[in-house]
Amino acid sequence: MSVATRHPARFPVIGGWLGTLTSTDHKRMGLTLGVCSLFFFLLGGVFALLMRTQLAQSNMHFVSDNSYNELFTMHGSTMIYLFVTPMAIAMSLYLVPLQIGATRISAPRLCLAGMWTWICGGLVMQQGWFASGGAGRAGWSSYAPQSNGINTPGVGMDLWVIGVILAATGMLVMGGCVVATIARRRAPGMSLLRMPLYTWTALVSVLMVVGSFPMLVLVMVLLYIDRHGGRIFTGFEGSIDYQDLFWFFGHPVVYVMFFPYLGAAAEAIAVSAHKRWFGYLAFVASMMMFAALSMSVWSHHMYVTGGVTNQYFAFTSTLLLVPAGIEYFDMIGTLIGGAIVLRTSMLFGLTFFIQFLIGGLSGIFVASPVLDYHAYGTYIVVAHFHYTLFAGSIFGFFAGVYHWFPKVTGALLREGLGKLHLALMAVGTNLTFFPMFFLGNDGMPRRVSRYPTHPGWGTLNELETIGAGIIAIGVLVFLFNVWTSLRRRVPAGDDPWLGHTLEWATTSPPPPLNFEAPLPPIRSYAPLLDLREEELDRARERAEVTVGG
Amino acid sequence: MPIAIGVFVVILLVVLGAVLVYRRRPPERAARWHENDRVEGTYAVLLASTAAFLLYLTFTAEHRVDTLANRERPAVIIDVTGSKWEWTFTYPGYGFSVRSGTVGRQPLVVPAGEAVRFQVTSTDVIHSFWIPALRYKHDAIPGSVQITTLSFSRGVFAGQCAEFCGLRHSDMVFTARAVSPAAFAAWARGRGSGPTP
Repeated sequence: MSVATRHPARFPVIGGWLGTLTSTDHKRMGLTLGVCSLFFFLLGGVFALLMRTQLAQSNMHFVSDNSYNELFTMHGSTMIYLFVTPMAIAMSLYLVPLQIGATRISAPRLCLAGMWTWICGGLVMQQGWFASGGAGRAGWSSYAPQSNGINTPGVGMDLWVIGVILAATGMLVMGGCVVATIARRRAPGMSLLRMPLYTWTALVSVLMVVGSFPMLVLVMVLLYIDRHGGRIFTGFEGSIDYQDLFWFFGHPVVYVMFFPYLGAAAEAIAVSAHKRWFGYLAFVASMMMFAALSMSVWSHHMYVTGGVTNQYFAFTSTLLLVPAGIEYFDMIGTLIGGAIVLRTSMLFGLTFFIQFLIGGLSGIFVASPVLDYHAYGTYIVVAHFHYTLFAGSIFGFFAGVYHWFPKVTGALLREGLGKLHLALMAVGTNLTFFPMFFLGNDGMPRRVSRYPTHPGWGTLNELETIGAGIIAIGVLVFLFNVWTSLRRRVPAGDDPWLGHTLEWATTSPPPPLNFEAPLPPIRSYAPLLDLREEELDRARERAEVTVGG
Repeated sequence: MPIAIGVFVVILLVVLGAVLVYRRRPPERAARWHENDRVEGTYAVLLASTAAFLLYLTFTAEHRVDTLANRERPAVIIDVTGSKWEWTFTYPGYGFSVRSGTVGRQPLVVPAGEAVRFQVTSTDVIHSFWIPALRYKHDAIPGSVQITTLSFSRGVFAGQCAEFCGLRHSDMVFTARAVSPAAFAAWARGRGSGPTP
């Protein structure tokens, strides 16, 4: 195909570190962003382990109160601003152009600038650890007036605010590049309703980035001014305004951190079931409904403030069960009648759906104001969002890693280690997060470094700490798997899984301009499956002719 | 709650069943159907009705908790003031206060079985007035006084700040004692100085 080779000279391939730092190839930017995000994931994980150690017993003095406040703030901020969201964007940067048959991303230099802005943001935020008084310590949501200059003074908190501004701006820019790529660079024949599932989930999530991240940048700039004498978020209205503005970003971002991983799990499941995804149109429609609703549920974080119309937000929040139910239906519809291979990516994909269900069903409870009057601010909420973000999104992320690793590196990950990784993660996750429902219901608030000796609380907290340790071992197994699979490579070939979408129609790893051979015809959201089915039909016809003749 | 567990179990079983039944077949045998408008449509309607039913339950309950409760004539009014890191409970009808948190250890005493109106506010940052056993909390926000009416059965209840408020948030705890109205009246008339009933 001519588009694939039009401007080869404009894209000299620079190797090594310099190339990594300056390349405008979407695949290399995606990888750099992904590797940096993974580094922050490990860092955030260390924070979590320190917190769980402090909480293992009721009145531990492993870290001070102040350090604990820094830890939970930086754990949440690192995971949300520096891992789950940017990792979603990293996967989109890498995969979307390949899936829609594009040779490159739109506005690649802008995208590179966005990536560096984000990296600077991450580094600035973490520098808070070296500031006197410590890093940001007002929670990842940093409610005013707790986060103002009087209640949380110090350079560390300022660095946190600036770090969030930079990281959010960077992600906004990169998200915009992905939107533009989908709008402008689809291959001939790739209509919107022929885009692969993953691309749809990526599109919806970057649209939400574009829609909601400007609000985060705005609210953080206002907070910075407020911290330096601006008096913006004062009094009742100021407190409520901050929360309204923050959650107008803060709820959509939850779905930004969910959709692409849902897409990854869906692709892994469809490919491993050797069957095209069931109910594609309903799935796309449910994505749209999800996105629209998730931009209109933000104040369900504020039921107990007495400052919002609870009924409206209960209405929109409860309606979310409709698109969520459709996804599950489609997933089951895909499995039924398939030819299922239980490889690691498939298992991670299925575990994603099952565990996310616990997060989703508990979400229906906290969507109701009267139930949330109890659950708000407790470990019930902590359990709920870790079941969506960790037991959900992270498992979807690993489904994507095992699914696309061969494409990205040309080598297969070890299946045995992969399944061990899954088993450790699944056991650790449920051991860590399930007891939190009981603790929260029993009256343990979140963000406390110590808790009273209460019958049962010690045991449950100890179990959680053990679970966190098991998760950590699982992550180490994963890192070892990556290391050993890259050192002693088992070549993957172009299409090890019988993939459905265009990225499997090129080499592994793909060449700088993605496709060297002509693209196959695109007649549905699974063009490679179309080809195989046609091939099969022709073979059957030939067989019939031979038998009949 | 039982519904949620039921939904979880059903989906888990269906997924496991599907995986077991359709495992290890050659890829050529995979079915090609991938749409069924009627089934999907029916299912969407079912989901929407579930949402409507849940909302009906929620709205009814919220009306009871937020609107009807506050219409009741309270037997006693208590001002609740959160400040770092102390709860101050003032009884305006009797003209005295008790404090609990990092400094004070005095319990909040209320008459059991009667409507108690709390007027909740804060002097510095957002706190949240939470009594887990009542399954109810309300934010204490500087610059506003928010009214909420609760009623207690007899007993001793733990209470705690549920909105992160800085260094010693963990220690912003109190105890609520619900005693008979007569015992409460005697305690309050002694301006809270007598032994806690």
